Amino acid sequence: MRWMLILACLISLVADAHELRPGYLEITEVDPGVAEVTWKLPVVGTAREVPKVMFDADTQELTPPNERLTGDSRVFEWKIERTGGLDGATVRIEAPDGRFRDALASIHRLDGRHTTGRITPERPTLVIDPAPGWTRLAATYLMLGIEHILLGFDHLLFVLGLLLIVDGTRMLVKTITAFTLAHSLSLAIATFRIVEVPEGPLNACIALSILFLGPEIVRKWRGGESFTRRHPWVVAFAFGLLHGIGFASGLAVTGLPHASIPLALLWFNLGVEAGQLAFVFIVLAMQRSWKSISLRWPLALRRAPGYAIGILGAFWTIDRLVATFLI
Amino acid sequence: MTFTDHCSRIPWHGAGGALAHLVQTGFGGFYDGMAHWAITPEDVLVVLALTLLSALGGKDRVRRLVFTLPAAWFAGGLMALVFPTLLPPMVLTLASFGLVGLLVALNRHLPDAVFVLLVLVTAVIHGAGNGGAMREAGLGWLGLAGACVAVFVVASVLPALLVRIEKPAGRIAMRVGGSWIAAAALLMIGWWFRGG
Repeated sequence: MRWMLILACLISLVADAHELRPGYLEITEVDPGVAEVTWKLPVVGTAREVPKVMFDADTQELTPPNERLTGDSRVFEWKIERTGGLDGATVRIEAPDGRFRDALASIHRLDGRHTTGRITPERPTLVIDPAPGWTRLAATYLMLGIEHILLGFDHLLFVLGLLLIVDGTRMLVKTITAFTLAHSLSLAIATFRIVEVPEGPLNACIALSILFLGPEIVRKWRGGESFTRRHPWVVAFAFGLLHGIGFASGLAVTGLPHASIPLALLWFNLGVEAGQLAFVFIVLAMQRSWKSISLRWPLALRRAPGYAIGILGAFWTIDRLVATFLI
Repeated sequence: MTFTDHCSRIPWHGAGGALAHLVQTGFGGFYDGMAHWAITPEDVLVVLALTLLSALGGKDRVRRLVFTLPAAWFAGGLMALVFPTLLPPMVLTLASFGLVGLLVALNRHLPDAVFVLLVLVTAVIHGAGNGGAMREAGLGWLGLAGACVAVFVVASVLPALLVRIEKPAGRIAMRVGGSWIAAAALLMIGWWFRGG
C-alpha cells in the first residue's frame, strides 16, 4: 500500500483544481462608436506574453492599454473608436504562441442592447451581432458551465467520492439529486449576492469536503457504519451548498450580463449539470461493465481512487489554507 | 466531390511526418488529448477492432483487453514523448489495425498469449503515433493522459456490451464491422502510398 501512497502524493504535486480559467472581455459603449475595453486574464505562472485583443481595420485605439493586477487576474483597459458604431465589428484574440484558453466576451451597447459570445481557439474571431438572439447567450453560458465542471477536478472528485460511498440505484439517484439541488440553490444565492463568502476560505472548505469523503470510503471498505453511509444524500446536500458557491465564484471571474442574469444563470447551471451527469454516467457505465465481465481489479487498484480522494483532499486543504492565511 | 475524395483529404497523423491535426477544445490539454484521439480515424478504428476481437473471444479476452490496451497505449505514447525519433512508420500503423480488422472478419480464435501480444504490439504502435502527435501539438503528457483515459473508457465499456451478444446475427454483424475496418485500412494504405 506504501507505493500507492507515494503515487497519490505525486499526483498531488501536479494536481491543481481550476488551474485554467477563461479570459473575460468586456466592451462597453460609452459614446456612439466609442467604447471602453476591459480584457481580464487569470494570472498563470510568470507568463509575460498574453493573448492580445485585435479589432477590425475600422477601429482605432484612442488610448493605449493600461495594465493592472487585481487579485489573481491581469486586467488591461483601453478605449477604442469605431466608424459606424460597434454593430458588425469583429474582435479577434491572438496568442503569441498560437494557443490560448477560451474567453467570454460581453458587449454592452449605448442603447441597452447586450451581446455575449465565447471566443475559442477554434473560433478566435467574434462578430458583434447587431441583433443578438437568446440562443447565443444560452450556448455561451451552457459551454461555460460544461467547461467549469470539466476543469473543476475538485468538484468531480467529490462526485466520484459520493459514487464510491453510495450503494443502490435508488440511494444514488437521491444523493446526486440532493447534490444538484443544493449547488443549484447556492449558485443562485451567491450569484445574486445574497450570500458572499471570501474565495480563499471557501476553496479550503470545498477541499475539506473532499478530504471528509476519504475516511468515509475507507470505513465502507472495512464494513463500518456511519451517518454518511446511512444518509449520503444529507452530506451531498450540505457540501453541495458549498460547491455551488464555488461555481458562483468561478462565474464571477467572467461576469454575467446584467440584463439577463436569470437566463445566463440557468444555462450555466444546465451546463454544469450536463457535465456532471456525463461524468456520473461514464463512471457508472464503467463500474457496470467491469461487473458484467466479472473483472476483479487487484486490491491496490481497487483502493486507489479512495486514497487518491483522501490525499488530494488533504493536499488541497493545506495548500488553500496556506494560500489564504499565510501568503 | 466523391466520398473517397473527401476522405482522402482527412489529415492522418502517424509516424514519419506526423502531423498533429491539433484539436483545441478550449478545455485544456487533457481534453484536447481526448478530442485528438477521438478524431484520429486510425486510432479510433484500432481500438474498435481490438474491442470487437476481444468480444468475439469471450469475457476472458475482454478482461485482458481492459488491462492491456490502455497500459500499452500509454507506454507507447510515453516512449514517443521521451524519444521523439522512435516513431513507427505510418504504413505499420495502418497495417496493424488492418490486420486486427481482418482477424475480426475471419473470427480467428487466437491463443491467449498471441492475443495479448497482438494487443500489446498494436497499442504500443498506435500509442507511439499518438504520443508523437501530442508532442508536436505541444500537449505533452497531459494530452497523452487524456487520450489514454479515452481509450480506457472505451475499452472498458464497449467490449463488455458486445460480449453479451450471443445471437449468430449479432456476431456476424461484428465480423462485418471487422471487414469494414480492414477495408478502411487498405484504403488508407492506398492513399498513403499515393501521398494523399
